Amino acid sequence: MIIPINIAIPGPSSVRQLPPQFAQFGTGEVVLVELQGALEVDGDLKDQVVGKLSVDIETKKPSLRIGHHLLEGKLVTLPKPLAVMHRAKVAVSTTEGDAMDDSDQTLDSSPPQWDIIAVVKRKMVFAKRPMPMVGRVLPTAPVDIPSSGLE
Amino acid sequence: MVLSLVIKGQPNEDAVLCTSDKTYTLRSVVLSNSVLVVTPPPAGSTTNSSNEDIVIRDQLHEVLELMPCLPKLQKLNGLLRGREYDEGQEETEGMEDGMEDDRPVKRPKFTYEDAREILQASDNELSRGLKEKRVLTLNGDLRPIAAPHLTTILELLLNYLVSLSLSHASAPVEELAAALEDDHDIKRDISRQVMTWFGEVKNGRWQLDVNTTIKEVGLGILRTYKDDPIAEDEFLQKWRSTVGDTFESIVDLKLLSGNYLTSPKPFTNPPVLMLVYFPASALPPDPGARFADLFLTRSRWKADDITPFLADIVVDNKERDKLLLKFARAITDSEGVWYTARAKYNG
Repeated sequence: MIIPINIAIPGPSSVRQLPPQFAQFGTGEVVLVELQGALEVDGDLKDQVVGKLSVDIETKKPSLRIGHHLLEGKLVTLPKPLAVMHRAKVAVSTTEGDAMDDSDQTLDSSPPQWDIIAVVKRKMVFAKRPMPMVGRVLPTAPVDIPSSGLE
Repeated sequence: MVLSLVIKGQPNEDAVLCTSDKTYTLRSVVLSNSVLVVTPPPAGSTTNSSNEDIVIRDQLHEVLELMPCLPKLQKLNGLLRGREYDEGQEETEGMEDGMEDDRPVKRPKFTYEDAREILQASDNELSRGLKEKRVLTLNGDLRPIAAPHLTTILELLLNYLVSLSLSHASAPVEELAAALEDDHDIKRDISRQVMTWFGEVKNGRWQLDVNTTIKEVGLGILRTYKDDPIAEDEFLQKWRSTVGDTFESIVDLKLLSGNYLTSPKPFTNPPVLMLVYFPASALPPDPGARFADLFLTRSRWKADDITPFLADIVVDNKERDKLLLKFARAITDSEGVWYTARAKYNG
C-alpha cells in the first residue's frame, strides 16, 4: 500500500492566521502547546472555552489561565522539526468548514491521504505547576475548542 | 523540485516513509506530556467571537519519529526468483503477442509498478536496486539476467570495443548492439540495457564505466570458484586475459571486496593465497543472522576483512561500528584488531 502525503502548507495570505504574538511559537497557522498531564473535559468538548492564552509583550513569555489557575510557559525549540499532518479526505468526524465534496463512496476504496499542514520547529511548553490566581485579568485571546470538535 | 512523500508498506510490515531518493523508518514515540495543536478558528466557524480566538484542534500523546534506513529491497530476490532471463530464451520471448491467446497461461508479468507497490524503497533506490541486481525490463516485465549470460555480453562488448577500434569513453550504442545481434544473436534491446548498467548512454554514445565493468567480469570468473578455491595469481591472470590489454591495468582484487574470502594454502613456500567466491549479497540481511553466518564461516575476523561484508546492511560507518559493538567482541593482539562472536553457545 502506498499512502501519499501532500504538502498543503497554506500561503501566508490564504487563510486566517494566528494572532502575530503567537506566530513566534510555531507558524502562522499552527502552534503546539505542551502541557504536563492532559486536558480533561466532562461531557461534550465542542465549543467549550478552555481558558485564556496570552503572551507578555516585553518578556515574550506565554501564560495560560484556566479557571483560577495560571500557568507560565516558555518557548522551546524542538530537537527535530515536526510536521503536523491532517488526514485529507476522511470519514465523518473531521469536517473542515470549507467545501469538501461528499463523494465518500469512491474515497472509501482509495487509500487514505494525508496533508502536511505545517512544519513546526518550536513549541510552547507549560512545565510548571499552576499558580492560584490573585484576581488579575490578563489581556488575551480566549482558547476555544472549535465547533467542529476534536478528531 | 516538487517534494513528494509517501508512506509505504504491506499490512504485515512496519511502515516506512519515502522521499524521492531516501527511505526512513517510522517509529511511534509516546509522549509523557500532552501536546495541543492550536490553530486559528476554521473559516465559517460557529463560534462568533472575536478575531483573537484560537482553537484547540487536537490533543496528542504520541508523535512519529523518522530514522534514515536502507531501502528494503531484500524481497526483490524472492519476487524475481524463477524469472531469470538466460541466453537462448530469445526465441520464446521474442514471439509476437498474437500467439499468446492459444498458449497455456504464462507466468504473470511482474512490472516496475508492481515492484514499486510492494517494496519499501524510494523510487530512486528502487531503480538503483534493479540496476545493481541486473534486472532487465522486457516488454514491461522485470527479468534478472542470468549471471553467465551477462558476463558473456560484457566480454563481447569489451572485445568489440577493441576490434571495431571504438573509444570506450564514447562508443556508438547502435553499432555495438548491431554487432552483438548479428554475430551472436543477442537482442539489441538487451545489449542496450546492459550498456546503461555499465556506463552512461547519452545521445546514442556509450561511456563505459570501466571499474564497474571490470569488476563484473571479475565476478563472473570468480563465481565459478564457489567450492574449490583458486590461487590468487592464477585468478588475476585469468581476469586480466579476459578483459584484454586495454583494461588490464584496472584489474585489482580490491574491486571485488565483499565477494571473496582468502586463505593461505597450506604447506606452500612462499605462501600462496587462495580465493573462494563468497558474496555479501547472498548473506542474510538481518544483522544478527549476518554475524552468525559470518562467524560460522570464520571464527575470527580482521577488522578490514569483515567490514566489506557489512557495508550493504548499514547506512554509514557509524552504524556499522554500532553493529560490531553489539554482535562481535573485539580482541587486540600483535596483528591488530580481531572480531569474534559475542556469544558462544558451545555448551
